[in-house]
Amino acid sequence: MRRLDPWLLLAVAGIAVCAYLAQNSTARALATPGFANRQIIWLAAGFVLLILFALADYRVLARISPLFYVVTLVVLTTLFVVAPARAGAQRWLTLGPYTVQPSEFARVVTILAVAALAGEHQQSRLDLKTAVRLAFVTGVPALLVMLQPDLGTALTLGAILVAALWLGGLPWKTWVLLVAAGAVMVAAAWMWVLKPYQKERVLTFADPDRAVYTSGYQQRQSKIAVGSGGVTGKGLRSGTQSQLRFLPAQYTDFIFAVWAEETGFLGASLLLLAYILMVFRIFVIALSARDRVGTTFAGCFGFVLAVEILINVGMVTGVAPTTGITLPLLSYGGSSVFATCISLGIVQSIWRLRYANV
Amino acid sequence: MTFVRDDLRPIQRRAAILLALLGAAFAVVLGRLWVLQVIQSQRWRIAAENNRLRRLPLEAPRGRVTDVRGDVILDNRPTYQLLLFPEEMSDATRTAAFLARIEIAPLEEVQARLEKARRTSHLPSVIADNLAWSQVAAIAAHRAEYRELEIHSATRRWLPAGARVAHLVGQLGEVSPDQLVGNPDLHPGQLVGRSGIERAYQDVLGGTPGNLVVVVDAFGKQVSALDEEPPVAGRPLQVTLDLALQEEAVDAMAGQVGAVLGLDPRDGAVRILLSQPSFDPDLFAGHLETAKWRELISDPLNPLHDRALQALYPPGSAIKPLFAAGALRDGIRSLTDSVFCTGAVNIYGHPYRCWQKGGHGRVALVEAIEVSCDSFFYHLAHDAGIDRLAAWARAFGLGTITGLELGGESAGLVPDDAWSRKARGQPWYGGETISVGIGQGPILVTPIQMAVAYAALVNGGQLVTPHLVEGKGQPPRPTGFPSDALATVQRGMELVVAGDRGTAHRLGSLPVRFAGKTGTAQVMRKVEGVHWQNLPWEQRHHALFIGYAPVGDPRLVVAVVVEHGGDAASVAAPIAARIFQRAFGPQAQVQSMTASAAPDWQITSAPPGPGALAAPPKTTPSPQTETEDDVPDQDPGHTHR
Repeated sequence: MRRLDPWLLLAVAGIAVCAYLAQNSTARALATPGFANRQIIWLAAGFVLLILFALADYRVLARISPLFYVVTLVVLTTLFVVAPARAGAQRWLTLGPYTVQPSEFARVVTILAVAALAGEHQQSRLDLKTAVRLAFVTGVPALLVMLQPDLGTALTLGAILVAALWLGGLPWKTWVLLVAAGAVMVAAAWMWVLKPYQKERVLTFADPDRAVYTSGYQQRQSKIAVGSGGVTGKGLRSGTQSQLRFLPAQYTDFIFAVWAEETGFLGASLLLLAYILMVFRIFVIALSARDRVGTTFAGCFGFVLAVEILINVGMVTGVAPTTGITLPLLSYGGSSVFATCISLGIVQSIWRLRYANV
Repeated sequence: MTFVRDDLRPIQRRAAILLALLGAAFAVVLGRLWVLQVIQSQRWRIAAENNRLRRLPLEAPRGRVTDVRGDVILDNRPTYQLLLFPEEMSDATRTAAFLARIEIAPLEEVQARLEKARRTSHLPSVIADNLAWSQVAAIAAHRAEYRELEIHSATRRWLPAGARVAHLVGQLGEVSPDQLVGNPDLHPGQLVGRSGIERAYQDVLGGTPGNLVVVVDAFGKQVSALDEEPPVAGRPLQVTLDLALQEEAVDAMAGQVGAVLGLDPRDGAVRILLSQPSFDPDLFAGHLETAKWRELISDPLNPLHDRALQALYPPGSAIKPLFAAGALRDGIRSLTDSVFCTGAVNIYGHPYRCWQKGGHGRVALVEAIEVSCDSFFYHLAHDAGIDRLAAWARAFGLGTITGLELGGESAGLVPDDAWSRKARGQPWYGGETISVGIGQGPILVTPIQMAVAYAALVNGGQLVTPHLVEGKGQPPRPTGFPSDALATVQRGMELVVAGDRGTAHRLGSLPVRFAGKTGTAQVMRKVEGVHWQNLPWEQRHHALFIGYAPVGDPRLVVAVVVEHGGDAASVAAPIAARIFQRAFGPQAQVQSMTASAAPDWQITSAPPGPGALAAPPKTTPSPQTETEDDVPDQDPGHTHR
């Protein structure tokens, strides 16, 4: 325990406090008092998971990651058969009274699998074979998730590949090729894969006046919430935008706006600094890992986490399109909290074992 | 076995680059927060306030209107409105069925209103008002099922006298864009007077609407009130109308079609302003049901038409006193000039018949008014010529609006040669002059014009401006008729009722002494030998009587027009008589009269039941009718003119 990183733990604890306060506020607005309590219970349970995984050996986990990976793919495939369509998507698995979002765990497993693959190739640069294998390992779950459809999570799986390729090292000519291929893929996705509502979101981001009462409306209300918070905020549970329900999806995608409205620039920047501290420490751990597996896992996870935070806060403040990407730990949802905590536990394990000789 | 440590330096370097990139991105997001929350915070704060605050106009209670005695003509009463919150409505079909079941309106009507409310906005809208207690109770009992429905208490215009003052009071309606321009006191959507007193005295009755600033949530639902600027109620208004006389006029009209106008000849204060048939003014106080509106506008008798101010009638013999006064003033006739009436005169080679078969014998001016001798006035008209007749008629205010505050009056028509050339493209035909002499031909008047003209006959020759609010009329203008001429004409009109040969002498025995002149205006060619009561209603002549009382000190002029009344003396004159009785008669007489139905000296000529009339009957016959034939005429044995 004493060999865990205290800064990372501190950042997680700080974010957990903010999460509880923000969820408490939005629970009042939506008259759903159970939400805030459930979120804090998940965070507590997540903390226990974090410690448990911190005490495990990440190298062992990486070694058995193919098993996890296969199980994950099976679960993701099964979803299309058993999952009920909720809000037009098959994302959730019902386990008794709980619903689990397997794609969140798929992400952890994918990072672990990518790290294990990277560990096998101990060269300063990736060869083509490894690069293709990396693409395959991230591409299959990404495709399954995209078909649910859950574009946001699929994009973060893509981010894992980018991070893994970057960290593994590719010749610059390959990068040019990849960017070109990526552009073709995006165009193809726009034409054949994206649902109309997803296209609408992107278009709205480009032109906010486009749809005042749909996604443009959401983003405008979010900007009003954040901006009207001012420097010191309107006070907890006193934000007019959240309490009068002008703010959409407040306990999930737009939870940061609730926090920013009620605590102002002081609270919002403090929370953002906690996230920055978290990402910074994860990268410090990546740099001090004893092996390629550790560096790759922490680097990929740190990158994906940072991308999620940046896209979510960017969306809330109107500099990124509404993609449905949640804010880790703050947005309501047990699966997301657990998956993030497990990843953080593995990162702590990497830190704990950085000098291990065996 | 040698342990070769993997060289991690390249991957670490790349991880550090990644961290630097992410750090830059985080700086951008932090900067974005700074811009929104520190630099632009004022702008977003205003946007947030606009989001949550709504300014709701508070209607000002409109002023009450009382009559000359202080009896209430128009007031407000509490009412219950039904508000719909469209966002809360889950199943419009079910809600519509429920509202139809409790008889808010027929199902299609309810569906139309719900659909409109849903389309227009997500803010609540009034979908029904004037709810009955049972409806309020039914909605309250089903509150949990229909959360989109809410009962809201409001006020509604209330007319204790109902249809009896409907035309007078007028209607309310939403303010028009034109009215909004240049009137800062009016707010869009506000109810303002559209007609009648409500429009004429909007500035007195209207008051100033207030404001309620409320906090609403994202669904437009009111959460709390922040600030209130209370409305200023409209001021009360006392009008010169006499409700008792108005009600007597309604009773006396007894369902007949026409108008009654009463005014004080001394200053023009209006005491009675009645148009029949009328309508229920409460229909216009809120949601007007389409079916009822259609019924109203398709009624062939056109109840919405204000006959007292707008309908045009040929005056018939009622014009004679005016021409008599003119003839005396301009020396066309002296007091002693007489005519021997044989029942017909021959002018321009054409026979013009007097209504009295066999003639009146020798009659002078006073007598000619008493017996309504057509022959006398044929000669008078011939001697005066159309331009002089027109000048006299105009001197008494015919051909122009009288200037009553309510507005919307018809000007009528006083024909002359210039008019004929302009309107018909041909010179005036002399034979028409003879018809105009007895109030037929192209000449057209409104009931209020006749009342004003007769007021001038009996008030010393002053043309008053009729008005409903004390002091509103312009000062009377002298008509220039000498008082001895007017006195002579008055004597003739007194004899109409009091004289043995007077056309209305059957009313001479009533306790109140009044005077006046009958007039029967031709609707179509007279059918020889058929009594008017045997004609279909729409073929009967219009019956007019304009009278005044008390004789000697006239304080009330009453003009009565009964469309297709058939006979002036037995149909129109009794109506005026009943009003004079009510105004000046002994108390006992008033009591018995209000209790009883029509007195035995009154005959009525009511239109047939609904549906019997296919098309609206012409309230104004074509001016060209019957100029070459005789004038309208009754069975000699029966009555008068």
